[in-house]
Amino acid sequence: MEVPAGFLVVYLLFSCFVASSYGVYFSSLNETIIVTATPTQGQVLKAGEDQITVTWRFNQTYRAGTDSAYKTVKVKLCYAPISQKDRSWRKTVDLLKKDKTCPHKIVARPDTASNNSFTWSIERDIPSGVYFVRAFAFNAQDEQVAYGQTTNAHKSTNLFEIQAITGRHVSLDIASICFSAFSIVSLAGFFYMEKRKAKASQQK
Amino acid sequence: MHGVTGRESVMAFSVASPMVHTDRTAKFALPVDSEHKATVFKLFSFANPHMRTFHLSWISFFTTFISTFAAAPLVPIIRDNLNLTKSDIGNAGVASVSGSIFSRLVMGAVCDLLGPRYGCAFLIMLSAPTVFCMSFVSDASGYIAVRFMIGFSLATFVSCQYWMSTMFNSKIIGLVNGTAAGWGNMGGGATQLLMPVLFEIIKKAGATPFTAWRIAFFIPGWFNVIMGILVLTLGQDLPDGNLGTLQKKGDVAKDKFSKVLWYAVTNYRTWIFVLLYGYSMGVELTIDNVIAEYFYDRFDLKLHLAGIIAACFGMANLLARPFGGFTSDYMAKRFGMRGRLWNLWLLQTAGGLFCLCLGLVDSLTLAITFMMLFSVGAQAACGATFGIIPFISRRSLGIISGMTGAGGNFGSGLTQLIFFANASFSTEKGLTYMGIMIMIVTIPVSFVHFPQWGSMFFPPSQDIVKGSEEHYYVSEWTDEEKQKGMHQASLKFAENSRSERGGKVASAPTPPQNTPNRV
Repeated sequence: MEVPAGFLVVYLLFSCFVASSYGVYFSSLNETIIVTATPTQGQVLKAGEDQITVTWRFNQTYRAGTDSAYKTVKVKLCYAPISQKDRSWRKTVDLLKKDKTCPHKIVARPDTASNNSFTWSIERDIPSGVYFVRAFAFNAQDEQVAYGQTTNAHKSTNLFEIQAITGRHVSLDIASICFSAFSIVSLAGFFYMEKRKAKASQQK
Repeated sequence: MHGVTGRESVMAFSVASPMVHTDRTAKFALPVDSEHKATVFKLFSFANPHMRTFHLSWISFFTTFISTFAAAPLVPIIRDNLNLTKSDIGNAGVASVSGSIFSRLVMGAVCDLLGPRYGCAFLIMLSAPTVFCMSFVSDASGYIAVRFMIGFSLATFVSCQYWMSTMFNSKIIGLVNGTAAGWGNMGGGATQLLMPVLFEIIKKAGATPFTAWRIAFFIPGWFNVIMGILVLTLGQDLPDGNLGTLQKKGDVAKDKFSKVLWYAVTNYRTWIFVLLYGYSMGVELTIDNVIAEYFYDRFDLKLHLAGIIAACFGMANLLARPFGGFTSDYMAKRFGMRGRLWNLWLLQTAGGLFCLCLGLVDSLTLAITFMMLFSVGAQAACGATFGIIPFISRRSLGIISGMTGAGGNFGSGLTQLIFFANASFSTEKGLTYMGIMIMIVTIPVSFVHFPQWGSMFFPPSQDIVKGSEEHYYVSEWTDEEKQKGMHQASLKFAENSRSERGGKVASAPTPPQNTPNRV
């Protein structure tokens, strides 16, 4: 009885180790889109306050008609390598559906031939870090077929920094102090009162 | 007061029979033994003092678990707000369990000397400000410091277990301790559900994510304050009253800290259980810290879904830990202490095996399955451990509970440091290695030997005197202390603990100096 059960367990385990590896790989895409963004190299922007204007167009040096398959373009904010260091939840993986480099969506637009541009206010939940902008072109089956980015292939040029909001507020700080004080004072009060009662009963 | 005083002049090995009132005159809602500990466990009663103590105790412990692990399910948001690296997150996890290594040791002594009620109330009300401090945190070092301070509150574990041991008889102590601690530990699971839900609600109310998580921390803080007030107003230390009042009336003898510590530290069994608990409770704490983030990152789940799965781990404590206490008591009925030891070894090793598997699998369903099996193994092992701890020593129970509890946290801190704070290990590798370590560390339980009851592989001592419960427990007192009658409580405990011999209690040989118990 034990041997077949053991076999079953091993088989189940084995079948789950075979990771699903279908999907689009980043290395298979061509950089056929030219993307530019307003931040300059090393510029520091503030989340919740500043804006980024992104423009993108098809690179005419590629064969015309290559872009007929492009149905939508999604523009994303991506982490530069320095912001990925020691942070495995932002890891770059070639298989695009497992890639975590570009989690922040800027805009998604249907693909048009003319110059596209979009002005984006940096949202307040963007973390502090060093970034670049990347655009993906999707076909009708919603698969990536091409990309473009504001930086070079090594992701070392034209990177800009965003400073996040702290999330702190004066009202929160004050509330925190008040509740803490209440806790300590009521504890001290109880203790003192009980000591007094115990003394009184001992004197009886 | 029913033989609790140490003042009557009696012969060394007799129970002070003329002074002991029978159980029937004791006016409690539950049937009690000669120490006024309840012999029956009525779960849904709130009767004072036994069951009320049970509920106050486990709920306060539950609250501190919520506060200590409140950050864990929100780490995906916090790490973006504070720009944390993997080692920052790992170090914060280590910090959150390290503070209570120290506080659990201190709490053991506090319970022995001042009573579990004050210990519990002081701790949770003084740690409430540390929870509120999360609103001030703006970088990694602040985050680590606050999690460290909040972690001190986990010492309520010791007051909880101690309080149960003063209120409930040793025949049911495994089940009672297991239930109280297990339900308290559920807080580690409940928080994984609670905090993401609070976060979502506060976000919907209009707050931006980096502020919403800070506001969410106010709720655990309020829980701390409320429970502290309830414990102070509704609780009492012993079945007969509060420790301070009883001591002032001269009813309970005060003991010396240095003596209590000595007998705890020189008993080798203490140290084996300190190590073992580090790899049953310790791994549970570690998982509470890493599992939500693990599911969020590895399986690409949404925050609240990862929280729900993570919660299932901690919530299994509802049944798993009491189950461990129950199986401990059950095995003891037939096989005595040997049964308890085997039970512990089996449960903890099984937990380690399933942890190993958890790290190896790639599919979500299998991961959840192995996580649940692992949770049952580890948590039942925790319950089983505290089914044995009350028997190691009567005099130093508080400190031994404290040291074991501290060992749990030490094991957790060490494990997180080695396997989960390192960028070079992936989390799944860390889980696998942790599983292997659990299985190895559980082997020393086979070295625990009681002369009166034996061990996993060896029988009890055949010597009539050395093989008696009285000899083991009274050996913690010097002759002068025995002259003063300070060992009376230990004698009573020895008598009540004869059930640890297993099936054949009736034929236990009585030591020659003993006067018969029922004159």
